Order: sequence, then C-alpha cells, then structure tokens
Amino acid sequence: MRDTTSSCARNDAIETLSGAQLTAWQTDRLREVANYAYQEVPFYRELWDRAGVEPGLLRSIEDFARFPTISKHDLVQAGNCWTNPHQGPVAFSTRGTSGDPLLVWLSAEEEEAYILPTMRGFRWAGFRSGMTALLMSPVWHRLAACEAHAIARLGGRCAFFWGSMGSEYTDSFLQTLSSERPEFITTTAPFLLSLIRRSTGATIRPHELFKGVRSVVVVGLPLTPRMREFLRDRLQVEDVFERGGTQEGAATDECQWHTAPHVHEDVCYLEVVDDVGIHAAPGARGRLIVTKLTTAGSIFVRYDTGDIAAFAPGECACGCGFRRLKIYGRPESSVLVGDRLITAYDVRMCIEEDPALVGRNVLLISEANARAGVLTVAVEGDARDPAKLRARLRERLEVATAHIVWLGDLRVNWGFRQVLDGREVRLPRS
Amino acid sequence: MATENAYLLFDVPGGRLAFGDGDLDIWAEHLTWCYRMMGIGDGATIAVQDFGSSPISFLGSSLLMPGLQRGVAERIDGRFICLDASAERVTLTPALLAQLAVDALVIREDVIALLSAELHKKGFAELAQRTMKTIVVFGDEPPAFNPGRLQPWRHLMHVESALLLAPQCVRCECFHLREGFYEVDGRRIRNLRLTAPAYDLPRGELFSPSHCAAGSRDWCIGWSPRGRGI
Repeated sequence: MRDTTSSCARNDAIETLSGAQLTAWQTDRLREVANYAYQEVPFYRELWDRAGVEPGLLRSIEDFARFPTISKHDLVQAGNCWTNPHQGPVAFSTRGTSGDPLLVWLSAEEEEAYILPTMRGFRWAGFRSGMTALLMSPVWHRLAACEAHAIARLGGRCAFFWGSMGSEYTDSFLQTLSSERPEFITTTAPFLLSLIRRSTGATIRPHELFKGVRSVVVVGLPLTPRMREFLRDRLQVEDVFERGGTQEGAATDECQWHTAPHVHEDVCYLEVVDDVGIHAAPGARGRLIVTKLTTAGSIFVRYDTGDIAAFAPGECACGCGFRRLKIYGRPESSVLVGDRLITAYDVRMCIEEDPALVGRNVLLISEANARAGVLTVAVEGDARDPAKLRARLRERLEVATAHIVWLGDLRVNWGFRQVLDGREVRLPRS
Repeated sequence: MATENAYLLFDVPGGRLAFGDGDLDIWAEHLTWCYRMMGIGDGATIAVQDFGSSPISFLGSSLLMPGLQRGVAERIDGRFICLDASAERVTLTPALLAQLAVDALVIREDVIALLSAELHKKGFAELAQRTMKTIVVFGDEPPAFNPGRLQPWRHLMHVESALLLAPQCVRCECFHLREGFYEVDGRRIRNLRLTAPAYDLPRGELFSPSHCAAGSRDWCIGWSPRGRGI
C-alpha cells in the first residue's frame, strides 16, 4: 500500500491557503494526475494524443481546460483501456440513470484522501466526539463507505439500519433510530420525505423518534430553502445539511451558513462549463466537469457528469476559501421546454413559494408539446390556487404555458427520478 | 465473548450485532474460511448483492468498515464488488456483469428471482450461468429448486440475528458449523465469538463432528437433495 502520510498533511494544510495558493496547489495536482493517467491508463493516452494535449506541458488551469472532456459512454466503451493499475480492490456501481451503470473502483489510498474531507464536512454539520451516527449503507456509494471511517476517527459510534435506501425500508430505519438514539444522521432526502409522508397520521410522529438528533445530512436531492425548513420543522432536528458527491469523485458539504455546499478542493477539481465548453461565471449554470485529484482508484479527468450546476458568487461568511457549488439536477431530472432547460429544483422553488405546497412531491412530465413551450408539472394532493401557480410558473420559469396535474390521493414515490415520460403514466388531467 | 465498547452497531432481522475493537477481523477471517470451504480461491473477484448492514457485505473489505484490518478482499488478495440488494440496484447487475467478469456472485435468496428475470430480459442468463459461480444466501433452509432461476453453485447459510455463517462444503455438500465459532446443543446453535441470541435449527439434519474431513471437528447441517434445491 502507498504511503498516505504526505497526502494527509496536504489535506490539513489546504484549508488555510489563499485563492491563488489553492489554484497553484491544484494545478500541481492536476499535472501529477494527468501525467500519471497518460503513463498508466491507455484510454487517456490515446485520447490526449488524438487531441494534441500534453500533460507534461500543463502549467495552469487554463492549460488544463484544453484537455477534452469525457463521458460515461466513453468509459463504458473503453473497457479495460480505462483500467488503472492501482485502482484498488473494491468497486461500486453508478446508478445507471443515464444509460448503463459504470463500475467505479476505490483503493485504500484514495479512500484515505476522501475520509479527511468527510470528517471536515461532518464537523461543519456539528458532529462531535462521543456522538452516535446513524449512517447510510456503506455499499450504497463510494462516499458512504468513507462515512463510517470518518465517524470512527472523530470519536463516534456508527449505527446501521437493516435494508437499503428505498421507501420500503423506512420502518427499519425508524426502528434503529428508536433503539440507538443517534445525534447525527446521514441519509437521502427522498428517503426522509418518504418517511415523513408515511408517518402522516401514524400514532408515533417522526419528530418523537428524532428527539435528540442534532444534525441530519442529506444527499440525493438538491434542497430548496423551504424544503430544508420543512425537514427541520417536521423532524424537529436542529439543522439539516446538504451533502453532495458523485461516484466519479466530486465531494461537497455545506457549512452552517447554508449558502451552497463547499467543494472539497483537496480531493477534486470541479469546473462548470457552458454549451461550448467555456468556464461559466459564478452564478451561471452549466455542466459539471469532475477531475479527481488522486492517482488511485478509477481515474477521472475532466469527466462530464451531465449534472447542471453553478458556482455561488462571492465568499462564504464561514471564512472557508473553498468554492461553493450548487448542483441543481441532471438531464434526467429536467425537461427542455422551448429552448429552456428546466430542472425539478426550479419548479419546486416556484411551487414552494406557497408554504402550503412545501413537502409535496413534484414531478416534471416530459411531453411532446414541451417543445412548443408547454411545461407540464404533476403535484401531489388537491389543487390549491391553480391559476396563481400557473401564472407563477410562467413568469418565473419564462415558459409560454404551464399545465398542472393535481395528483389528488395518488402517491408517487419520492425518488431520485423527478421526470416522468407522459406516455409512461396515465395521470388525472386537471 | 461480550463486546465491550462496541462502536459499530448493526440492526439485523430479529436482533442487533455490536462490534468493538478486533471483532470484525475475527468475522472477516471466518467469512473468508466460508468462501474457501465453498471453493472460492485466492485472487477471486466476488460480487455481493446484499444490504450494507449484512456482514457478507461489510466484511468484504477493510475499505468498508473502520477497525477492520483485513476484509475478505484483502485476505484472498482478490476484489470485492458492492451490489446493494435493493430492487433498483438489482436491475443494474446484468449491465455490470457484462462489464466485468466475476468469479462468484453472492446473492440474497429473496432477490434471486428478480435478478434471474433481469438476466433473461437482457439475454445474459446463459452466459452468467456459464462464467460465474452463484452462491445463494438463505436463512432457515435452502430455497426450493426453481428451473427458471439462476442455478446456485453453492449455498451459504446466514442467520443474521445469530451471526451464523455456515458454508456448503464442496466435499460433503453439508453446511459446516465451524469448530470454535459455534457450539451445538441439541438443535440449538450458539455463537461462541459474539454476543448474539442462540439459533434453534427448525429443519435439517445435524451431523456430529468427524462427519467430514474438510472440517473434522465441525458439526454439519444436512438437507436432503430436494431440501437443497436439487
């Protein structure tokens, strides 16, 4: 196994670097990773030779931006040519929401690099030594595998419930919550929302079981400000934090200011690019491109995740110099209405302006007339001020027409999928 | 045997497992022994379709659990593929098996029907059957034979609440209760290495030690061929 001491030291020091120092540090890491990938991974060597870029001449972030981006399809096609000789012994699967899933490998050295930012994120979210954390399954995601290590190193206990992250396991989760009484929880937002919905009308309300929980850290759904308040109020926990990350190496965590998750700049270099591949200005949306800053595990250099994201402009009040990134969704959680790509997050923001609609599941319906500027949205529950909501959707999202389908008693699972093909389901028309 | 200062707590069906310092390596060594008894050799790539809170998953590698010095992958110098057992993830397995040749697929009995259907749907069932060893994990008794499903190469008995892991031996076809790990009293099986409720074997035949040379001091559980799903 490789010596990880130097990388640990680097990670601790990086939080205090200035912006220019951080850029210089990341440029060095990018050159290191690119040189390694060129020498050890045939896929990158062939790709970069074809593109006429040389890792040895990489001197700046601007040089790096000339390297071609890659997609999941490229990596699936590459097969063994993408194999890193030091990729490690454990593999996780991506979720396959955009085609075939991809196996992503984790090594001890890479995990070591990612445990430190996980500890940082958990400290930001209020985890303290002596606490018990109820965690996600370690086989669910590469980043989830780091969580138990982080909690143990922070001096805590880890508890795991039986099952997985589907809504059918909420009872199992509640049982462990009740028996272990954790102060800290990591889970997915869809899972928590399913749990709240399932508990409606139950004898024991969720907040009674969440008594004593100080922080809940969620992944899997970008939180709107009102959704965060909804979760905090319904569960009566002190705070709810958004965590982000991809199997390909992106890692983000929110600080207490909740302005947007900070990028863990010591393990990943993230870019947001526009349609022609130019870096988007802070505040402007674009596609998220990920590069892992380690030569261990599966190598991702300028990987186009397909996520729609934007860097938050300005600095965070917490004083941390790490950039902040909000991931709004993916093509699979968005619809193209006219020429505007509208995410489920955008629609939820709009709908939740009415406090009575916060916490209802919202789905975008992909239909043929979207091209003509018609946005179709399905909202759980009974109609509420439909004319006002339609006007709000038209105005805020700049679409010609907004249709709302009120689902009434029909319950659609809270899931990571937020767009339904209009041909897939027969929905009540309103 | 009692676990002092447990810092890893797992809720499992019918109970709770608590592990402290050093406990996990005892069980990772035992699970590795189970794989060897079932004929899985060094350097193997093992894919496990189980929940993360199952020891068959979390003992797979030291990367998955703090305090685990060497998981199964490190002990056999092999590779471990994490495949969660949720229905959503099971549907992804055929595409993953198409990308990577695995030596053994270890799968919970309750999701094998779903995986078999997905493999058939993707036209991959025959190839999967030919190229990998399928180990089906069951609780109280092996599943009945079902020609429509991926056929098991071996079975692994796993009673979660008792942390009972008994592999089907390549030699005698019975399920070994490893000496030093389990104690048998009548039909009651007690875990000697972890505080866990005893397990009362509801069916099957118990054979006293010296039944099989592969583990001459082990008790064994046998089912009739029909009971073994054959």
